Amino acid sequence: MPTVTIDGCKVEVEKDATILDAAKKAGIWIPTLCYHPAVSSDASCRLCMVELDRGDWRQLVTSCNYPVRRDIVVYVSSERAQRARRGVMELLLARAPESQELKVLAERMGVTETRYPKVTESQRNCILCGLCVQVCDEIIGQAAISFAGRGVDRTVAAPFRQPSEDCIGCGACAAVCPVGTIKVRIYQDQQEVEISPFKSRAKLLVCQQCGAPVVSVPVSEQVLDKVEMNREEFRERLRLCPRCRQLQTAAQLGAIMVQKK
Amino acid sequence: MIQNDKLIEQIVDRYDKDVGMLIPMMQDLQAECGYLPVNQLRDLSRQLEVPLSRLYAVATFYASFRLAPKGAHEVTLCMGTVCYLKGAPSISEAICREFRVEPGGTTRDGLFTLQAVNCVGACAVAPVMLVDGKYYDNVTPTSAIEILYSLATDKAIAEKEAET
Amino acid sequence: MTGLGNTRLCGPADLERMRQELLSRRVPSAKSVHVCTGPGCAAKGSPKLYELFCAAVSQAGADVQVQAKAVGCHGLCEYGPIVLVQPGDIFYQRVEEPDVAEIFRETVLGGRLVEHLLYENPATGQKADTVDKIPFYKVQKRIALAYNGLIDPTSIEDYIAAGGYTALPKVLNGMGSEQIIEEVERAGLRGRGGGGFPTARKWRSCRQAQGSPKYVICNGDEGDPGAFMDRAIMEGNPHSVIEGMLIGAYAIGSSQGYIYVRNEYPLSVERLKQAIEQARELGLLGQNILGSSFAFDIRINRGGGAFVCGESTALMASLEGRPGEPRAKYIHTVESGLHGKPTNLNNVETWANVPAIINRGGEWFASIGTEKSKGTKVFSLVGKVVNSGLVEVPMGITLRQIIEQIGGGIRDGKHFKAVQTGGPSGGCIPAEHLDARVDFDELTKLGSMMGSGGMIVMDEDTCMVKVARYFIEFLQKESCGKCTPCREGLAQMLHILNRITAGEAEVGDVEELGVLAELLEGTALCALGKTAANPVISTIRYFRDEYDAHILDRHCPAKECRGLFRYEIDPEACKACGICMKNCPEDAITGEKKVPHVINQEKCTLCGTCWEKCPFTAVLKV
Repeated sequence: MPTVTIDGCKVEVEKDATILDAAKKAGIWIPTLCYHPAVSSDASCRLCMVELDRGDWRQLVTSCNYPVRRDIVVYVSSERAQRARRGVMELLLARAPESQELKVLAERMGVTETRYPKVTESQRNCILCGLCVQVCDEIIGQAAISFAGRGVDRTVAAPFRQPSEDCIGCGACAAVCPVGTIKVRIYQDQQEVEISPFKSRAKLLVCQQCGAPVVSVPVSEQVLDKVEMNREEFRERLRLCPRCRQLQTAAQLGAIMVQKK
Repeated sequence: MIQNDKLIEQIVDRYDKDVGMLIPMMQDLQAECGYLPVNQLRDLSRQLEVPLSRLYAVATFYASFRLAPKGAHEVTLCMGTVCYLKGAPSISEAICREFRVEPGGTTRDGLFTLQAVNCVGACAVAPVMLVDGKYYDNVTPTSAIEILYSLATDKAIAEKEAET
Repeated sequence: MTGLGNTRLCGPADLERMRQELLSRRVPSAKSVHVCTGPGCAAKGSPKLYELFCAAVSQAGADVQVQAKAVGCHGLCEYGPIVLVQPGDIFYQRVEEPDVAEIFRETVLGGRLVEHLLYENPATGQKADTVDKIPFYKVQKRIALAYNGLIDPTSIEDYIAAGGYTALPKVLNGMGSEQIIEEVERAGLRGRGGGGFPTARKWRSCRQAQGSPKYVICNGDEGDPGAFMDRAIMEGNPHSVIEGMLIGAYAIGSSQGYIYVRNEYPLSVERLKQAIEQARELGLLGQNILGSSFAFDIRINRGGGAFVCGESTALMASLEGRPGEPRAKYIHTVESGLHGKPTNLNNVETWANVPAIINRGGEWFASIGTEKSKGTKVFSLVGKVVNSGLVEVPMGITLRQIIEQIGGGIRDGKHFKAVQTGGPSGGCIPAEHLDARVDFDELTKLGSMMGSGGMIVMDEDTCMVKVARYFIEFLQKESCGKCTPCREGLAQMLHILNRITAGEAEVGDVEELGVLAELLEGTALCALGKTAANPVISTIRYFRDEYDAHILDRHCPAKECRGLFRYEIDPEACKACGICMKNCPEDAITGEKKVPHVINQEKCTLCGTCWEKCPFTAVLKV
């Protein structure tokens, strides 16, 4: 098993583990944005840069996807590595000045402001990390959204910027978005869920008791496909929201207790 | 033009349903229709079993793809280094001003679509303009506008001949 | 085409028989007219000349032994359309349609020269009748371009008769993989696409990699603006690329190849397609090549219009039907490339050199060039030179030799200011370094790089800040947008350069550009982003005074940046014709008859109309 000497601290990792894995093991924090354990690492945000010792020179590499195959020496806190990470963060702050999450992360890195003016447009603070696209494709399997355009005109969008037919309203994209761009909106009256900003909508199953949203119809259908369960039984379970079901169960238990007495 | 509902089938068959040949497939589709119609792309997505979002990503990534119909003629201005140094921007400006069109756009009357391209490889005779694949070398703002006006005249002549 | 039936060749002996048959049909006294249809000449209408010559040939009668050929880029594009008459290598330049009859009558039939079509050296006034007497060609050494101008690129018979497909049977007849790789290693061949990576090392790594199938790719994406070397090879001698790939595939153990041609080169696609079909017909591609157990075939893919697809991992993404986004190369593509399989990618010119290396030996190749850069390199010499076109020279030749001896110096009586090499990844080199030797390493030391071979010559009328701005704008448009530093950083650099060229710069802007350059170099994901700042950094290094003038004085010394220079009328040259006054949209010019006109600087909007219209060049840029 190769050893990673990271800021002087030696840790052993499995072959093909990443420098980021080693850092976590060593208890050393490296900022990340586009990294998520559930999906593959594209290393597109370039925030997690560290210096790799190459003998007579040092190479800046991204820690989230650099595979450790032999003993290596890594510097996280070196002057050059810090300058690189801060530089990237400053560019991101210029792009998405209104994201609270980004500001919090920047502060933790020691970056309180950016020297750059805003010269690119972002949709509601989107930093193009791609986690939403990856989750929808790799984990959910719907691939309802993708990158569109190129360069500074790159955006995340549903095909033809129309509400996507493949979106199942699960909200996984909103769950992974690190900067609060994607939001799940419930429209009570129409019994619909909308994933904003893609405007994709799906019908909701609502609690037959209190009307609270339970789950989107397409998600329930997908789950039904993947889980071995009787259709009727499954539908029955979705009739009530968790809270109402608790109350119902409590009431049933109470009735049994009364009967027993 | 091949019957629409068979078109995608033909294209997919041509490349043995190989997803790696998606770009050539889309190029064939665009060659046939002049642009990439949404419904054809949906069809392609279904037949290839590839998410529509991927086709959209590819269609919007590569500069040669169009999601809207183009003009009768395709005018390409080379913006490579040598053409640029020899005045291509002022040619572009002149054309845009004269015909009221933006680079990448189509003139109102649908006469031509103006594209800027990064180097067509004829640097020794810069600045270079192509009209429907035909090369014009050493163009100037004046000569470029003349060439484009002659397209309009050709069109008028062709229409007149069609009428008689 | 030649009535040989083009039946499948069953073995090397068959091929040799075919070659001898083709050569025996050659009549020594026969004349041949070669019309260049390379990009430059074709743009000037040379295909029509070829048609006219064909007509003349067919009218000449059966007893006259003459043929007409359309050939690939010969190189001296500036003087095109070029027509060569063989035997004798007679060189005619700037040939027009009415000249066809004269050439045919006088030279082809009569054996006399047509004086007014001969090349005349502008410096000495001397005329040259043959190619070797023209300075542009004298200094060149042609390996990759050897057959350009000689063969008809649409004829596999021409290629075979000229000696093509000699290396392939040699390889199949008993050279093992390691032997082939060693020969290429002895040659010292390095990638010609810009990276300069040792080719043999790449082949060996791919051969040793685990996984199957293995792929070989030819990168024909040639995106560098100003470069058309690969185009000239693909269109002028496509079989050299195919033969090179066959040899490489055999050495690596691959049976599937791809040639990725940029979308803007439809003729290259056509020629390659034709060449591949011809090769298949003869059994030089497909199963059991030349009777061996080697199988290999090639597929052609067109790009979709993205400069970034010249980057190897982006190209492979494109071949997988995805947007051309590069990926990390911590695991090399020779290990995991196309579809996650071992893949060997080489540039067009690299492949084109392979047959010659196998035929004449690695030692021969290594005898040309410098210690670390062997062989020759094709350059596109363009811009403000007298002789612009395509040249192939031994590595180690100096910039001065290329620009002055071959290029004929600067045109229009101007002076050399800089030469931009290496495309958007390269930099600008000033006059003080004209004696630098051109190879993979020397230009890099000077802050540029040899790159794929683009060489753009600039004179004193070129604003170097504007050049930097042009490249950054180009790269920003072509950036895939995946990584933060390239996407956001280039936008920030462009923003600064826009301010500088508009006269709205701030002190500290140059330092800011430096900070951004360092950030891009260190953190960008791919080579496009990492080298993107080179044009800016090299122009700051050598032309800092121009940046300072723009920033501190709001003045453009080259007088290119609108608003940063003035127009003034030279009272001594002005003939008071009144044209400028009539055309001025702001009525900013005053003057009466016989009195030199004057521009009112307050009213002047710097549109430049007066400068364009003045017939006496009395309007000066100041």
